[in-house]
Formats: sequence, C-alpha cells, structure tokens
Amino acid sequence: MPQDNIGMIFDIQSYSVHDGPGCRTNVFFVGCPLQCRWCANPESWMVKKHLMFAERTCKWEQGCTACRDACPNGSIKFDEKGQPHVDWILCNKCETIECESSCAAHALKQCVRFMTVEDVMKILMRDYPNWGSNGGVTFSGGEPLMHHKFLDPLLQECRKQQMHTAIETSGFASPEVFEKIFRNLNFAFIDVKNMDNEMHKWGTGVSNEPILHNIETLAHADWWRGRLVLRQPTIHGFNDSLENAKRVIDFMNKNGLYEINLLRFHRMGGTKWEQLGKKYEYDDHGDMPEERMLELQELYLNNDIACYIGESTPF
Amino acid sequence: MDNEAKIQEILKRRGLDVSEVTDFADTEVKEPSPRFTKLINIYYAMKNSIDMEYPYWYNRTWWANEGDITEIRRAKSEAAALSHMTPTILPGELIFGNKTRNFRGAFCFPWVDASFFNAAAEAMMAGVDAPPVSAADAVSVVGAGGGNVTKDYGNIVSIAQKFGLRREEVPCLVKVAKYWDNGSVERVSARLAETRPDYQKWAGYRNSVLVMFDSWAIPQGREVINYYLPLEYGFDKIVELCDEKIAETLGEAGDDGVLGMSRGYYYMACKEIALGVSKWIENYAKRAEFLAAREADEQQKKEYLDIAEVAHHIAHKQPASFRQALNLTLMCHYGVVNEDPHSGQSIGRLGQILQPFYEKDIEEGVTNDEEVIELLELYRIKITAIECFASSGVTGGVLSGNTFNNLSIGGLGYNGLTAVTPLEYLIVEAGMRGKTTQPTLSLLYDEKTPEDFLLKVASCIKLGLGYPAIMNNQGGMNYMLRHYHPEGMTIYDARAWCPGGCLESSPGCFQPLHYNGKVTMIPGGAGPTAGTGIHFTGMPKLLELVLTNGYDKRTGIQVFQPHNKSLDTYEELLDVYYNDYLQELLEVSNRMNNLQMDTHRKICPIVWASLLKADCFKVGQNQSHLGARYNGTINFESCGTINFINSLASLKKNVYDEKKYTLEEMKDAMFNNFGFKTAFETGVFSPDRREATENAPKYEKIFADCVNAPKYGNADPYADDILYDYEERMLPKMLALRSYMGKQYYMCQISVSTHGPQGAITLATADGRLCGTTYADASMSPAPTTDKNGIYALFTSATCYDHAMCQNSQMNVKIHPSAIKGTQGTHKLLDVYRAYMRKGGFHIQFNVTSSKVLKEAQAKPDDYRDLMVRVAGFTQYWCEIGKPIQDEVIFRTEYDA
Repeated sequence: MPQDNIGMIFDIQSYSVHDGPGCRTNVFFVGCPLQCRWCANPESWMVKKHLMFAERTCKWEQGCTACRDACPNGSIKFDEKGQPHVDWILCNKCETIECESSCAAHALKQCVRFMTVEDVMKILMRDYPNWGSNGGVTFSGGEPLMHHKFLDPLLQECRKQQMHTAIETSGFASPEVFEKIFRNLNFAFIDVKNMDNEMHKWGTGVSNEPILHNIETLAHADWWRGRLVLRQPTIHGFNDSLENAKRVIDFMNKNGLYEINLLRFHRMGGTKWEQLGKKYEYDDHGDMPEERMLELQELYLNNDIACYIGESTPF
Repeated sequence: MDNEAKIQEILKRRGLDVSEVTDFADTEVKEPSPRFTKLINIYYAMKNSIDMEYPYWYNRTWWANEGDITEIRRAKSEAAALSHMTPTILPGELIFGNKTRNFRGAFCFPWVDASFFNAAAEAMMAGVDAPPVSAADAVSVVGAGGGNVTKDYGNIVSIAQKFGLRREEVPCLVKVAKYWDNGSVERVSARLAETRPDYQKWAGYRNSVLVMFDSWAIPQGREVINYYLPLEYGFDKIVELCDEKIAETLGEAGDDGVLGMSRGYYYMACKEIALGVSKWIENYAKRAEFLAAREADEQQKKEYLDIAEVAHHIAHKQPASFRQALNLTLMCHYGVVNEDPHSGQSIGRLGQILQPFYEKDIEEGVTNDEEVIELLELYRIKITAIECFASSGVTGGVLSGNTFNNLSIGGLGYNGLTAVTPLEYLIVEAGMRGKTTQPTLSLLYDEKTPEDFLLKVASCIKLGLGYPAIMNNQGGMNYMLRHYHPEGMTIYDARAWCPGGCLESSPGCFQPLHYNGKVTMIPGGAGPTAGTGIHFTGMPKLLELVLTNGYDKRTGIQVFQPHNKSLDTYEELLDVYYNDYLQELLEVSNRMNNLQMDTHRKICPIVWASLLKADCFKVGQNQSHLGARYNGTINFESCGTINFINSLASLKKNVYDEKKYTLEEMKDAMFNNFGFKTAFETGVFSPDRREATENAPKYEKIFADCVNAPKYGNADPYADDILYDYEERMLPKMLALRSYMGKQYYMCQISVSTHGPQGAITLATADGRLCGTTYADASMSPAPTTDKNGIYALFTSATCYDHAMCQNSQMNVKIHPSAIKGTQGTHKLLDVYRAYMRKGGFHIQFNVTSSKVLKEAQAKPDDYRDLMVRVAGFTQYWCEIGKPIQDEVIFRTEYDA
C-alpha cells in the first residue's frame, strides 16, 4: 500500500456522460470494502498493481507468441493450441507487471496507476474546458471513500478551481470520513443495495447500517448543499421485490429524499472477471424483466419519489 | 400522465426546478413527405448512367464554330449541349431538373481527358472489360453495391467500374473521344510537361502512387457557387447587361495590355451561356406542358402545369417565390457541374441566400413551413443524384462515389451578428426527415449561434446520418484574413466564407439582393476552385522513401535520387524528409499542375461558373483569368498525417532517443512487415488483423516497441510536439510556392478516401501500421486504437497547433448511439463539439452508428441499402464505398462513454 498522498487509480475516463450532470471526467479508485457478487468492476478490488488479461483481444489465433518469455516468474503458459494462459496465483503476487510491454495487442494490461494529487489535477485541468457549464469531475471506483486521505486534498484542489464535484459511492465509511469528504461535494450517488441487512450482507459482504446512517446524517446536515440521488443496481431475485422498494420509499420519505436511479443489472463486467481469472457467479441470472422495472418505477412515482431508470435522467 | 411528466411534477413540488428539461426521451423525427419516399425509392433502384447527349452536342457545336475565340466557342458549345439535353420530369416531382436526361446521370468530358476512353475504345467496341489505365486506378477499390455498375450486363457497358452506358452509344463515345485524342487538356499538358527536364521525377511520384491524380482530372469544384446574378436579375436582364457591357468593352483594352481586350469576349461568352441556360430551363416548361396535355389525372396535370409556370418564369425573370428561387439555384448548380468534371461544388449558405424569398411567401401566406420542408426534401434527392464521371481512381479512390455538394448553415452575417435564418431550421429539419447523402450540411459554429439551433444540429447528428459536420467559424475567418490578406481580404468578406467541397474553406463576399421591397446582403462564393494544385501525397510513403534511399520497393522505381546519407541523427532524417525529398516533390509537382491548369484555362476557359462568382462580371474576366475576387485558392493535399507523425515518434523514441534499435534493424522489421502477412494476403485492410508468418518471433519485440511508442491523440507532448513542428515547417513551404494563379499555396489536410489506396501502396510503417493497411483517416483522427486517454486528450493533441494556419484540418469521431440518448444526450453532444470548437479545432464530424451494425451491413449490404456513414468530409451510402474504407470506418475508435 503506497503513502497517503498517492492515489491508486485504475482508470480515468473522459466524456463520461452517465455519472452525474453534464459531461464529466470520471476518476476510478481501486479497492472496495464491499465484494458484490455481481460487481461490474472486479478489477478494482485488488488494492495493488496487478494484471488484467483481455483474452478476446489476444492475437494468439493469428500466430502471436510475443509474451511467451515476458513474465520473469513464468506465469504465462501456452497450451498445445498456442493460446496463452495466466497462472493467477503466481501473477497476483507480482507488482512489477513486466509482461505488459511485450504485448502489441494491449491484451496484457496493468490495472492500477499510482498518482499524486498534482498528477490527477493535471488531467482534470486538461479536461476542464471540455465539460461545458454543468459538467465536472466524478470520483468513483471501487470505493473512493477508502482513499479519503488522498481524496480530501484532491477535492480541496478541485474546489479551489471551482470544479463541480460528484461521487459514486457505496456510502460505507465511518461518519467522520463521510462528513469530511461530503463537505466538498456538489453531487452524490449513494447506493442502497438492499434494505434488508441480512440480504445486504449476503450480496455485498457488509452490513447496510453504516450506509443508512450516513445517508440519514447527510439528509439532515445543515452543511450539505449538494444534490443526493440514491442508486440501486437492480438485480432480479436480489433486490427487485416490491417489499424492498417499499422499505426504500419509507426510508426516503422519512429523510426527505426524493430522487432514486434504478440501474438495470448488466453483464458487461463479466469478461473482466474472466480476465482476472475469477469465476463470475452472475453469468446466467440476475437479468431484470422490463415489466418489473416499470412496476418499480410506478411504485416510487406513486409515493412522490422521482425514480429514473438507467440513463433516462434529467441531468 | 406519463412517467416523465410525473417526475417533473414531483421534482417541482420538491423544489427542484427542471422545467428547462422538457423531455428526457428524444422527440421523434417526422416521416418525410410521401413524395420524397416515392422518389427516393426510385433513386435507390437507379443505376449510375452515362449518356452521350451532352458530349455529342458540345462537340458538334465546337466543330461548327472552328476559328472562334476559344472562350466564345466554348460558351456556344456548352449552351448548345445544355439546351439539347432531353428534359426529364417524373410524376410527383415538384422541383424539376436533372444533370442529364437520366435520374442518376453523368457523362464524359473528352475535351478534358480522352485517353481513358481511347485506351478502352477497342475493348468497348469489342464488348470486353477494359483494364484500368493508371497506377492510381489499379489500387483504388470501388464499392460494389447500390447504384454502381461495376461490370457489364445485358446491353450495358460498365465504365470506370461505376457507370453504365448503353451499348448503342459506344460508337458515339468512341468518335467524340477520338477527336480529342491529341487536343484534350490531358494530352496537351502532358506534352508540355514532358518537355521539362524533371518530368521523369513527376512520373515516378505518380507511378509509385506517392502522389495521386492530376489537376485536370477534376479541374473545377471545391468552391462555392455565387447565385447572386440570376437571383437579382433573372436571365433576360443578364442578357441585357451583357449587351451593355459588350458595347462598353469590346475593342477596348483599358489599362491592361494583356487581358484588357478579353473583357469583351467574356461578356459575349456570358451572353451565349445565359441564353443557353435560359433555353434549357424553358425546355422543362415545354416538357411539363407536353406532359400536362396528356395527363388524365387532374392533380398530376396541375402539378405539371405548375412546373411549367415555374420553369417559364425562371427561364427569364427574377424568381418571384421561394419555390422558384430554389429551383433556379438548382438549375444554376446543374449548369456548373456540367461544365467540367466536378466534385465539391458547394451550394454555400442557401438558407441565408433564399431567406428573403421564404420570408415573403410566409408573410403573404402563399406557403407554410411544411410545404417548404417538402420542397427541401425533394431538393435533397436532386442533389444526391448528382454524379461525376471521372476514372475509377478518382470516383472510387478520391470520391467514394460522392460529389460533395455541401450546404452551409450558421456563421455570421455581413453585420457581424449571427447569420442563422428561420429557413435554416427547416433545412436541418428536411435533412432529418429526408435522409439522403447530399447535400451534406456544414454548421459554421460561432459563439453567436443561437443555442436552440446548435441543439437542432446536435439532434440531426444523432440520427447517424453523418451530417451536419461542425466547422469553426472564427477559425475559418481567421484563416481568410491570414491567407487572403495579400489580396485585400476584409472582415466583411471574411464573414462570408464557407466550405467549398467537403471542408475547403473558400472565400466569399456579400452582395445586395433587392427583393420584397428591401435590400438583403446575401453571401456567395468569391474564389475559384480550391481543388487543384498538388494532389494527395502520402506523407508516410514519403518517409518510407527516405528510409529506402529514394527507391520504391513495391514498384522498383527509383522515385528520388539516392540521398546516400546514413541518417545518424533525427535531425538528419527530418532534413532529408523536409528539405530534400518533400521540397523537390513540391516544386516539381507544382510545375506539372501549373501546366495542367494553365492548359485547362486555355482549352476550357470557365464560362458558366464565371458568371456565378464575384467579381467576374464586374471586372469582365472569367475565373481562369483571375476574374474572381480572391485567387490564392490552390493547395497542397496531404494524406496520412497521423501515421507519419506516429512513425516519426517511434523512430525518434526507439532509434534516436533511447537507441533500442539501430535504424537498420528498424528498416529490416518494416520491410519484412514485422513478420506478418500483408493486407493483400489477408484481404483485411484494417489494423486489427495481423497474421503471423514464421518470421514473426524475430520481430515481435521491435513490433511491440513500435506499437507502444508515443502516439498522437493522447495529450502526450512527445508525439504532439512532432505534429506542431510539422505544421510549423509546412506553412512557410506553402507560402513560398506559386500556383498558376501567381499566388501562394496552403495546406489542405483532408484525406477524402485516398487513405485507402495510399495505405495500400505503403509498406509497414514505424508506428506499427502494417503493409497495405489503410492510413488513419483525415488529419486529426487518431490511428485506430492508439488513443488511450479519451476524447478530451485527443482534443488536446489535435489543437497543439493553430488550425487557422491552414485551409482546414479534419477530425472524424465515432460515438456509440447509447452515449448520447435522450435530450440530455443532445446537450452532451453539443458540449463535446463545442468543446473542440472552443479549443480552436477546425472541424469535427460524427458517426453515430455502432461498429456492430456496420459489420452486419458489410456482411449483408442488401439489407442496408439506405445506411449512411460519414467517410471523410462527406456522407455516403455504405454499400457504395470500397471495402478498404469500410474496414477503416468499422475500426475507428468508438466512444461509448
């Protein structure tokens, strides 16, 4: 683990258009205290430099063998067809990732970059003129709150530059950390994955109590001037019951919250599990029936909560 | 109440005002008019056809007037040719006129270029396929679908792999072409060129396809028509004005002992051509009356009679309605594109030019917006059907079958305020409903452009039609003031610019139109073609020749004298590239093109287009005699800029800075295609296919280092500084050249479709691009998959130099439709194009189609007859584009956010 003034970032995406108001630059941190079974960014779990292997981009079928000696630990092995495979037990111990430069197809990719506040600000300042009047920067992950010691000075720099700042978070952090970071934010998405604590623990590995507590604090805090939108990755069989929705509605109405964004479960992250050598449990289930999405939206709307589905948002 | 309305209400009650966001979902685009649908379906079914009516009458009249002053003789020939063509009117048409008697017709211009037909004559008479005659044709691939006639069938002979000619007209073609065997522009200029001691050098550039095309191949076009005179006066009055001018100038030289006498001839020619065009339009009136007399259906009968009335009126007088004015501009346009082989004849800022006519009709209640949109939809079909006949290398290789009749919107008016008119909203709307490839639309983006107009443009782009393209208005004006300063460019004229052709910034001016009891300053073109000069030069190919000591390994031609330098330093490499080889290429090519274009102006003085260009009529000189207000319009066309920049970056990094490899090792790897099969062996021209040979392991490390070397498009100063240096080095070279107009050159940085054929003749390059694969398109698009840091980083790289130094730059971007869905998506698309404009980017255009759809369309072209994509500066039907360019478009980086 590097020092506090170094951020561990696995991607910075520009022209990010579904992660807050307007056009944005999205900074993805690595590491997450949750381990969601359906996660779309599993490469963000490992809090160290590591490798991702994009098998579909690999040119082995066209006769490429360029990586055969690229790993000094011998973790890349070729089968009898000539296809390379990564020995993940060996590979995940490595933090030097020498093999990356051997690949001309960009199939071997180092996932994590170590960056200083200045490094990130340089990119944000470069992107700043592109955002338009209501865009800005979004911090995402992984879990950005895990990196509060780095994120705090970074956010202060952003505020100094009068950038619009947003976060996508699980909300899982201590109240002190939560407040410190949220004081410098203009916009937040916080996930409410399941109102039932046992189900929450089953799906994500952690309790939902600190999350709900942080949301309540925020909803009543006099220092919060930003806009809060709750989010729910909606997964069939896990959290798409009307019962769960009713509990979310009660919670929101009790706290004066009125915006929620339901994100249909998608399997785009599936290949990343493969690329990291992991088995993806949500390979064949979890898809949301369209009628259920509409039914849920209807329920929220009838209870005075603005409910957006997917990318159809008013921002 | 729908869910969206409920959300609005909840948010409002909760105190969050989102009233400016009216719809989350995209509003549906209305269906085109039934007339449009009927006529576009006829268009889809039509084949590209050439016929001999025009060339026959041109030649016959040319012979009959032997001995006349050339300019007048030519005017008589053109007038006779136009006024003898069969006028075709289809039932259901409201806007009349065609380029030829055919719906999708063209014809050959043997007075410009006859060798192509003469070489093919024997084969055509015998009924067998003729081989392509030039090196460029041999490497150009024409799309096989749509209206292209790539092979003979039945009674139809395929010409230039694109057009069909009825077999019974072949003898006429052979006879007409034979006459010009010795006297065409091509032949006369070739004889002059061969006299020069450096002719063999030129031949080497051409035969290696380092430089594509001759200037005579398309001697006009890539300019902006000026419709002012016909719209202000009408033809009868123009003829009167000619008579006055003839009386005033014929026999008078004024103070000009060289060209002063020509003024009288110019006005005589103008009179001939004005009468010819008038008669041609009148023929449509007669035809319509003829059809009406035989029509049983009352509605159709009335429509024919309406056409007759419009045609009769505009054959003589200033138009008196919007419909008349629109149809008159169309007929003027056809006249121009029938004068010479043309591409990129731009309509200009039509919505500003015709606004006074539209405004009067609306005021008087004689029409409404829906009717105007219908007319504009029908106009789109007419412009789409304009074909240009040239050799296959030109029609397939350069044009991809498109003729780039560009219509501009936006920009600033004479008074420096936004020029956007109510009619321009309808032009965009017609382009959204009536989906056709032409006219492509170009927005002149200015900070003064109304926001709702910018959003309207964004919603049109979202339909995936490839238009409008976005041009930087202030950048264009800056370029005008900078480049045409020696010719007296003013801020007022600078405001009248717009692209001529795809994106060739062309000078213009405003003139006072008297109509509806008031005076309106309307814009129009004020410079001749910006499409001649030194044609598409493969910059990566030139670098290859520096590395091979001037020898072309593909053809075995010693293109340049060996430099015999060891190229020990990066500076020496650049020195040989810029100061030896490129300098020689520019000087030699300039002379050859000057000879070609001077021959053109002597044999084919520009007659009709010279009436439609400020200030020819005022000064009494045609365009060939510098009659236009601005004449520094001749250019150097570069191709493959980004592969060249990336190759230099790789050589600098791997050979010179880090010394990982010697230059010999690098060359060995490149000449062996890094151990991969070539694109010709695999049949795939995009860079995602690289099949290893047994040599691959030998080169895999150097290949990875070449691919991983710094690349343009990532905001990496290592590569971007090389681009900056390139632009700064090129500008003074351009300003030092002198065209046949006696003016300086500029850089024209569009690839059109030449990145296909020129990629095909280039070996592997140091950036890791393999032999034969297509170059990166345009001049600002990143090489596919090499831009790793997102679109904002790409914008940063692209604007590392001042775009106003050059006539243009070009950026193609592919966005996945899902990224810009809904009205919020429209705003976000505006945000992204505005961001690039604010950075000083000159041009950006979008393909909003997923690669998946394109791949399906490549596999099943028949199911995608109406699919359109943006290629370089134009939109084209997917099925009419050659495979190498299809591969390239599929493989462009897709921004899906």
